[in-house]
Amino acid sequence: MGKLQYKKMKGSSNLRQRLVLATLSSTPLLIEDIRAEHTLPGLHPHEISFLRLLEKLCDDCSLIINETGTKLKYQPGTIMGGTHDLVHDCALTRSISYFLEPLLVLALFSKKPLTITLRGITNDSKDPSVDTFRSTTLQLLKRFGVPSEGLDLRIVSRGSAPLGGGEVILSIPIVHCLNAVNLTDAGMVKRIRGVAYSTRVSFQFDNSMIHSARGIFNRFIPDVYIFSDHKKGPAAGNSPGYGISLVAETNEGCYISADTAISYGRTEETGEIEEERKELMPPEEVGEQIASVLLGEIEQGGVVDSTHQGLLFILCALCPQDVSKVRVGKLSPYGIETLRHIRDFLGVKFVIKPDPSTETVILKCVGCGLKNLSRKAS
Amino acid sequence: MALDSTKTEQSHKSHRSRQAGPKKKSKSDKKNKNVSDSDRKQNPKAFAFSSSVKAKRLQSRTVEKEQRRLHVPVIDRAYGEPPPFVIVVQGPPQVGKSLVIKSLVRHYTKQNLPEVWGPITIVSGKKRRLQFVECPNDINGMIDAAKYADLALLLIDGSYGFEMETFEFLNILQVHGFPKVMGVLTNLDKFKDAKKLKKTKQRLKHRFWTEIYDGAKLFYLSGLIHGKYPKREIHNLARFISVMKFHPLSWRVSHPYILVDRFEDVTPPEQVRMNKKCDRNVLVYGYLRGCNMKKGTKVHIAGVGDYSLAGIAGLADPCPLPSAAKKKGLRDKEKLFHAPMSGLGDLLYDKDAVYININDHLVQFSKADDENGGETNKGKDQDVGEVLVKSLQKAKYSIDEKLEKSFISLFGQKHAKDNHGSVEQIREIEPSEGYHSGEEIEADESDDESDGGVRDGSESSDQDEAVQKERMIKSEDSGSEEDNDALDQQNSLKDRLQERVEYHGGRIRRKAFFGNDIDHDDLKDSDEVNEDGDDDADNKTSSGSDFSEEDGEDQETDEDDMGNISKWKESLMERTVSRQNTNLMQLVYGKSTSASTTAMDEAQDSSGDEESDGDEFFKPKGEGKKNLREGFDDGNVNSEDCSKFIINETLKNWKDEELIQSIRDRFVTGDWEKAKSRNKYPEANAEDDDDAVYGDFEDLEAGEKNERHRTDDTGNVAVQMEDDPAAEERRLKKLALRAKFDAQFNGSESPDEEVDTKDRDKNESGYFDKTRLKKHRWHKKILKNRDPIIVSVGWRRYQTRPLYAIEDLNGRYRMLKYTPEHMHCLATFWGPLAPPNTGVVAVQNLSNNQATFRISATAVVLEFNHAAQIKKKVKLVGYPTKIFKKTALIKEMFNSDLEIARYEGAAIRTVSGIRGQVKKAAKEELGNQPKKKGGKPREGIARCTFEDKIKMSDIVFMRAWASVEVPRFYNPLTTALQPRDQTWQGMKTVAELRREHNLAIPFNKDSLYKPIERKPKKFNPLVIPKSLQAALPFVTKSKDTPSRKRPLLENRRPAVVMEPDERKVHALVQHLQLIRSEKIKKRKLKEEKKRKEHEIEKAKDEELSRKRHREERRERYREQDKLQKKIRRNV
Repeated sequence: MGKLQYKKMKGSSNLRQRLVLATLSSTPLLIEDIRAEHTLPGLHPHEISFLRLLEKLCDDCSLIINETGTKLKYQPGTIMGGTHDLVHDCALTRSISYFLEPLLVLALFSKKPLTITLRGITNDSKDPSVDTFRSTTLQLLKRFGVPSEGLDLRIVSRGSAPLGGGEVILSIPIVHCLNAVNLTDAGMVKRIRGVAYSTRVSFQFDNSMIHSARGIFNRFIPDVYIFSDHKKGPAAGNSPGYGISLVAETNEGCYISADTAISYGRTEETGEIEEERKELMPPEEVGEQIASVLLGEIEQGGVVDSTHQGLLFILCALCPQDVSKVRVGKLSPYGIETLRHIRDFLGVKFVIKPDPSTETVILKCVGCGLKNLSRKAS
Repeated sequence: MALDSTKTEQSHKSHRSRQAGPKKKSKSDKKNKNVSDSDRKQNPKAFAFSSSVKAKRLQSRTVEKEQRRLHVPVIDRAYGEPPPFVIVVQGPPQVGKSLVIKSLVRHYTKQNLPEVWGPITIVSGKKRRLQFVECPNDINGMIDAAKYADLALLLIDGSYGFEMETFEFLNILQVHGFPKVMGVLTNLDKFKDAKKLKKTKQRLKHRFWTEIYDGAKLFYLSGLIHGKYPKREIHNLARFISVMKFHPLSWRVSHPYILVDRFEDVTPPEQVRMNKKCDRNVLVYGYLRGCNMKKGTKVHIAGVGDYSLAGIAGLADPCPLPSAAKKKGLRDKEKLFHAPMSGLGDLLYDKDAVYININDHLVQFSKADDENGGETNKGKDQDVGEVLVKSLQKAKYSIDEKLEKSFISLFGQKHAKDNHGSVEQIREIEPSEGYHSGEEIEADESDDESDGGVRDGSESSDQDEAVQKERMIKSEDSGSEEDNDALDQQNSLKDRLQERVEYHGGRIRRKAFFGNDIDHDDLKDSDEVNEDGDDDADNKTSSGSDFSEEDGEDQETDEDDMGNISKWKESLMERTVSRQNTNLMQLVYGKSTSASTTAMDEAQDSSGDEESDGDEFFKPKGEGKKNLREGFDDGNVNSEDCSKFIINETLKNWKDEELIQSIRDRFVTGDWEKAKSRNKYPEANAEDDDDAVYGDFEDLEAGEKNERHRTDDTGNVAVQMEDDPAAEERRLKKLALRAKFDAQFNGSESPDEEVDTKDRDKNESGYFDKTRLKKHRWHKKILKNRDPIIVSVGWRRYQTRPLYAIEDLNGRYRMLKYTPEHMHCLATFWGPLAPPNTGVVAVQNLSNNQATFRISATAVVLEFNHAAQIKKKVKLVGYPTKIFKKTALIKEMFNSDLEIARYEGAAIRTVSGIRGQVKKAAKEELGNQPKKKGGKPREGIARCTFEDKIKMSDIVFMRAWASVEVPRFYNPLTTALQPRDQTWQGMKTVAELRREHNLAIPFNKDSLYKPIERKPKKFNPLVIPKSLQAALPFVTKSKDTPSRKRPLLENRRPAVVMEPDERKVHALVQHLQLIRSEKIKKRKLKEEKKRKEHEIEKAKDEELSRKRHREERRERYREQDKLQKKIRRNV
C-alpha cells in the first residue's frame, strides 16, 4: 500500500553489519555517499562480492546500486540457506572471514541449514583468520544455544594474500531463537591452543613461530599446544604466507583469541593503499608478537576478545526478551559501532556499566525477541 | 512480603466434623469401608512381590505417568498489575447472555446495568479485574471474541440442547489457542419433569465433555426468579470465575492487543462535511494486553483493516485496583465499574480530561453559588472539592472541540517524532526534562507548540471560553510553585470522584478539568524523585515533550538546566549512582542520539565527552574513545569495516616480571581466590545499586517499547500516591490510539473492535502462506480449488483464494481440484505474513441464517514463501504426420520450433505404449513440406524417435508438469464498517455465481461416457506357407488327417430294443430302487431330529448337574472354611 520507508545511512563503514541487521529486522536500507569523495569511489570488490553473496542466500531481496557504486538500496527478503552446492568466490581484497562473520548471524535465522563453500583468502592480517573463527567464534555461538551438530567450518585449502586460492566449507544450523546468556565471569585461562600455518614457504616457519610463542607462554601456564599446519601443493593456495592463531580457553568456557598472518601485500588495483611490506616480519617475531597480543587480550578481562565484541553484542540483542549480561574488556570501536547499529535497527539499547575494580565493562540488554519465522513448522 | 508474613501467621480454623445427620452417617460408612480395605491389605500374599516383569512394567508405567505430567514451564514475562481478564459470554440468541452479564455485574458492583453494550470492566477482587464482553451472534464477532477471550462462558439453552454456534465457537477457540472454557446451562426451568431434567443435564454434560475434556465444568442456572437468575447461583458462578487461573497463551503473550472500551471520531466535522469519505481520525481507548507496543508499529483493527498509529498515550486507570492494605474483601467504594459503551459508569478518562456523569438534581445545589465563587479563581480559601465541583459545571468546552485541538497538535508531534526516529530515548536523562514535558503536554492541547501555557490562555480567551482555561493555567502556575498543594487538590478530588461512583447513575456527561495537566508535571517531578529511572518512559508516552528538543536541543537544554537547577538539586544525590553508567552510555549512544550514528552532532559529542572527564577512573578509557571519535568523525563515514581491533600502540613486553605478575591470576596456575573475587559481579555497591540497575532496565525497555504497563500512566500516579504510597507500580493504562480510517466509519454499529499489531508487516507485501489444511468433518461440502474462503489467521480475517495441493512422493506439490474428504492437504494462499504454527480457521459462508456448520476447514501455517511451487499435470497430445522407420514427425503437440527446442529429449509415449523421445524440430523434409514451393515449412512439427514403428492411427502423448500461480487475492473483511445485521459480501464462489446467473456447469462433450460399439472382428484363416511347413518338425507340422470313411463303433452299433418282459423287469427294479432310496432318506431325517432332541435334553441335564455340583462344592468349602477358622481361632 504505502511507499517503502527506507532507513537512510551514509558511508561505507560497517556495511556488513548494516546489511545483516537490516535483513534480520527486515528494514529497507538506503546507503548514500559511499566513498563519494575518494579517488576510487563506490563500493569495493569485496563489498560487492558480499552483496552478491547476500543475494544468493536471500529470496525476494532487491539490491540496487547506482552507476558509480556510491548509492545502495537494499530491500531485504527471506534468508533461505540451503545445502545445494552453494559456492561463493570471495573477492581477493578481503579475507574469507570478512564474509564469514555476517554469514554466521544470517544463517542462524534462515529457512534451511546452510552449507556453503567459500573461496578466497583464508588468512589475512586485517580480519580474524579462519582458524580463529573455528576455534573461538563457533564456540561463542554455542553459548547462545546453537546446537553443535551441523556447526562446522572445514578448511579445505589455505590461501594467503594476495592471490588467495583457499577454500573453506561452512555449515551452520538454524535456530528457532537464541538463548539469553549471562557471561559475566571470564574465568581463568586453563589452556592455550593454536594453529601456526604456512603456505608455500618452508615448514620451519611454523616451528619457529610456535617456539617463540611458547617461550612467552611458558612463564604463565604449561598447558600450551600449538599445532602446525604446513600446506603443500594445491592445498597451499596461490601465494606464500604464514601466520599463527592462538586461543586461550578459560575454565568458564570462554575463548579468547589473537591471530595474524604475514604475506606480501596486495597490488595497487584493489585500491587499498597498503604500504608494501617488502621485508616480511620474521616468524620468531610474529610468534612473540601474537603471544603478547593474546596476553593483552587476557589482561583485558572480558569474556571475549576485542574482535568478537561486535558479534557478542549482536547475538545478545537477538535473544528473546530476557536479560543478557556480558562482561567485556575495553570497548572496541567496532563494538561501539555495533551497539549503535543495534540501537538503530533492532531498537535494543544496552545498559553499559564500567566495573572499575577490574577495568572491564558490563553490558546488559533485553533482547529484541527475534524469532526465526521463516523456519518451517515440522 | 507482607502477604507472606500473613500467610505464616494466619491460623486456619480447624475442621469440625459433623456430629449428627446424614453427613455423619456417610462419613462413618466410609470409615468402616476403609477399615475393611485395610483388612484386605493385611493379606500378605496378595501384595507380595510376585513377578519381576510385572513389577518392572508397573514401575515404568508410574515413571511414564510422572513424565507425562511434566511440561515445559511457560515463561510469563508480564509484570505489574495485569489488565483485566476478558470474559466472553457466548451463546446462541435468546439464551440469556446479557442477563448473565447483568447478574454478574450486579453481583460484583451492586449496580443495575440497563443494557450490555461494549466491554464492562469491574474490580472483582483485591488483585483481579474482569472485563465482560457479550459475544455477538455472527461468526465474525465470534472469531474476534475467541481471539481475546481469557475465559469463555458458553451459554447453552438446556431446554433446547446444543446449537451450532456453541460448537463453532469451540472450534474457533481451539484453533486460536484454547483459553479457559466454562459451560453454563440456562433455561432449565422449562422442564416440568425432574427426572427428565436430570437426564438432560447428564446428556448435555457428557456431550460437553467429549467436546472439551472429561470433567470440564458445566454450570447450571436453574431458571429465572423475577426475571433474574437466582442470587445464590450467580454467586457460585462468580466464585468459579474468581478462582480461575489463566495461563498465558503464546500468541497473545507475544503480540500486543487492545480490547477497545470506547472510541471517538475526532475528525474535524468540517472535513467530513466537505468530503464524506475523507480520512477519519479516531481515538481508541482500552487496556493494552499481551506485550508492549512498539513505537511506529502498524495496527490491525479487526473488521476494519491495517492502519498506522498517530500516537499512543498512557491514561489514568478508569478502574484501578484497590490499595494493598491488609483487609478482607473489597470496600464498597472500591467496587469500581467502567462501562463506557453501556452508558453507565460515571468516569470517562481521556488523554487530557476526565469526564464525570452527574445527575442533574445532584448538580443543581451549587449552581447559584458558583456565580460568585467562580470569579475568585484561586479558590484557595474555599473548600477545594467544592471549587472543583463548581468548576465542573462551568465546563463550556465541548468534547469535540477539545479533541479536535488535541488532535492537531498530536499530529505535529508525530511529525517531529518521525523525523527523528529513535532519538529521544536518552534525552530524558537530563534533569530538566521532567518539568519541560509538562509544558509540552499543555502545548499539545493548544494548536501551537512552543511556550504552551501562555499561548494557551490567549487562545482560549479568544474563543470565549476563558474561565475554564484560566483556571487551568493558574492552577498550573501554582502547581509549579508548590507541588504539594496541587497534589492535595488532586487527591481530594480523586476522592470525590471515586465516591461518586456509587451513587450517580448519571445521564448528562459534563467535562471536568481539574488541571490534569498540572498533574502531569507534578507527577513527573515526584516520579523523578521516587524512581528516577522512570522518567524516560514517562516523557515518551506523555509525549509532547520531545519536539522542543528537536528544534533546538542544545541551547534549550542548557537554559533549562539553569532554570530548573534548584528543582533538581534534591534528586541529584540519587542520580550520582547511575551517573557513571549514563556517561558510558552517552559515549556509546551519544547524548542527542541523532538518528544515524554516523552523522553525529559534534557539539553534542564533545559535551558528552567533557562530562565524562569528570569521572576519574574512567578517564583513560574515555580519552581513548574521544580520540577515537575524533578520528572517526571525519573519516567515520567511510571507515573500513573490520571487526579486528588492531592495537597500534607498542605491545607490552610480557617477559617483564611485573607484567607477568599483573595477570598471573588470570591463569589457573595463579591464585584462585583472587580470581574469584575479581570475576564476581561488583557487589560493593550492589545493595543500593541494584534498584538503580533494575530501574534502568525498566527504563531502557520502556524506552524501546514506548509503552510499559507500569511506567507510563502519568495521570494515575496521583491516585496511587494517595491510595498506597508503597505500591511500586502503576497498573494499567488506557491508550489513546489514533488510527486513520480511509473509509466511512459507522461508529455506533461496532461497539468492540480490537486493535492489534502484528509482528513484521514489512511493506504490505504479501507472502504465500503454506498451510496444512483439513476440511472440517462437519462441513457438508468439499472445498473447490481457487474458490474464495475467509480465513482467520493471527488477528486478521480476510478473504483469499487458496490453491490446494498434495505432496507427492518425490516432493512435488501437485495441485488438487478439491480438498480431500478425510485427509489433510496443503493450502497455499496469498496474505500477510503469518508465523509458522499459527492456527487458521477457514469459513466460506458468513451468513447467520445457515443451519449447517459454518466452519469449512481448519489449518495450521507451515511456512511462508515468496513463490509457491505448485504443479499441475499437463498432457500434450500430438498426431503423426509422417512415419519413417522408427522415426515419426509429430504435429499439433507444439506450436513453434522454440517450444520444441525447450522440450528436446523429453519422453513421449503412444497410447499403445510405445515409448519415444523428442529429437528436434523437423526441417523441411518429407512430410513437412510447404504447400507451395517457396513458402516456409510449417512450424511446430517435431521429429521424434520411438522404440518401434508407430502407426498413423496412434496418438502421441507427452506428460509434463506446469507450475500454477496462486492468485494474489487478499481482501480484508470490513465487517465493522457496516451494520451488524448485514452480511458482508466479498468475492463469490463459482457455484454462487452459477446459481445467480443460472448457468449450467460446463462440461466437455468428449468426457461423457458413450456405449462402446465393438464390431465383431473377422479373422482370415491362418495360412502357413508350404516352405515353412516343410521345415517344421513333425510334432508341430499341421497334420493332414484324411476324413474317416468308416463310422465309429457306437455309431455303427444298432439300437437295442427290449422285450416286453424284460422291460417290465427293468421297470420293477427301478421302482424298488426308488423306494429304497426314499426310505433311507426318511430314516436319516428322523435320526437327525432325534439327535437334536437328545442334545437339548443332554444340555439340560448337564446344566442341572453343574448347578448341583456347585452347590455341593460351595457347601464343602464353606464347611472347610469354618473348620479352618475354628482351627485358627483355637490356635
